[in-house]
Amino acid sequence: MTLADRLAAYLTRVSGVPTAVESLARISGGASRETYRFDTLAGVERAGFILRRDPPESLIDTDRRLEFLALRSFHGKGVAAPEALWLETDGAELERPFFIMRRIDGGAPGSPFAAEPFGDQAGAIGERFFSIMGRIAAEPLAGLPILEAAPMPAPEDCWRRELDYWAGVIEADEQHPQPIVRAAIRRLRRAPPPPAQRLSVVHGDYRSGNFLHDGEGGIVAVLDWEMAHLGDPLEDLAWAMDPLWTHPGDRRISGMIEPEAAFDVWRDASGLRIDPAALAWWRLFASVKGQAIWTSAAKAWRDGGMVEPVLAFSGWYTARRQDEILAQWLATPEAA
Amino acid sequence: MTPALPDIILGQALAMGAPQSPEAGGDYLAGRLGLLGMLAMLSAQEAELGVAARLWENRTMRALFARVAADQDATLGAALRLAALGEDTDFAWSALDAANADLRRLLILLHEAAEAGADPALDREILALYQEMASRRRLDLPAGLAG
Repeated sequence: MTLADRLAAYLTRVSGVPTAVESLARISGGASRETYRFDTLAGVERAGFILRRDPPESLIDTDRRLEFLALRSFHGKGVAAPEALWLETDGAELERPFFIMRRIDGGAPGSPFAAEPFGDQAGAIGERFFSIMGRIAAEPLAGLPILEAAPMPAPEDCWRRELDYWAGVIEADEQHPQPIVRAAIRRLRRAPPPPAQRLSVVHGDYRSGNFLHDGEGGIVAVLDWEMAHLGDPLEDLAWAMDPLWTHPGDRRISGMIEPEAAFDVWRDASGLRIDPAALAWWRLFASVKGQAIWTSAAKAWRDGGMVEPVLAFSGWYTARRQDEILAQWLATPEAA
Repeated sequence: MTPALPDIILGQALAMGAPQSPEAGGDYLAGRLGLLGMLAMLSAQEAELGVAARLWENRTMRALFARVAADQDATLGAALRLAALGEDTDFAWSALDAANADLRRLLILLHEAAEAGADPALDREILALYQEMASRRRLDLPAGLAG
């Protein structure tokens, strides 16, 4: 049976309606999951969906249930989260764990390689980007589906939990000693940030490459929630600001809007203040987390037979760039 | 550090020959080929500069270790002095990386000692060294591309 055949059989079973799968195609993006787009025909109804399936080797070891529940927590709440429909954690019918969500058509990602990924809509998209980020931070936790799977840290422990986790990833996965990121980890431990003002859902990978825009200043989908967790909302703000996502010399965050404008939008949407010292801590942490992910990518690339170029690119070029960013942060944090 | 050039090149060949599912065509295949092309361009840069970067890094760490060994405790000082006597005579990527790994482990220990012993001058020197190390290993995407 082909993947399309197995998918059709699965959808027929869970929906109770004979369902055909058409135009199944793998798409790029979301390096921690295999991502496919497809159409279904059930009776006379045609619909578009996205399949997210665990790969044999992953860029990051994440829990697909968390991603599924994060999407369920935010769908229909004005933050462009797609509708997650079915989750299979044992994955028997498609060989590996997977979930299916409704496809959002009419949007495109901004290319991380383009000098002007958002053209003349950059300002409007930037405002929307930081407004959605702020709304995620403002969402009350009570009753959110993600609470079923995401541990609740104490506000004063958010930083430690994240740093311990990602430092552990580096410890486990590095294949060559990395003095730069280790120095950053020590610096972070020496001077922790203040407790989180509020515990929020942290998207975990909220950045310019992980949303679809409509070309008219709107954001139609926020994607890649696989690293979602509960924590300090400044973590998302800092991650989006990492210089890795921005062309050198461009003051705008990810080619969208300048930091001061982004902060204003985020403060309005979240109702939170931005403590400069806390943000600086989370910004250095963001680069540590990035380096941990790229370190894992290199290991996954090797363990997977060295056949996935996206893992090679992440584990090589991106890791080198992240080292430069970290080294600059350590030597001259005011200039980073 | 990151994968060495021989592995990156081997990986490109393996990726080109890896079987792909029928669903992995079209835009996905085009993106995959684009990435392989980018890796080839970056490989050319690394082939040109990578050995020189490693030789410089190893030489610079040894010089630093020779200069500061006497200021460290007995165990670290002895390890630094011994490492400082080394020399790169085998220019194979694997040999340079093996030597580099040993030296980097000592650099981590030295930096920890500088931080613990409150030696701000050595701390600053090592931080500046990190910047130079990262800069010399920098890979540049072709014009118009960044990441």
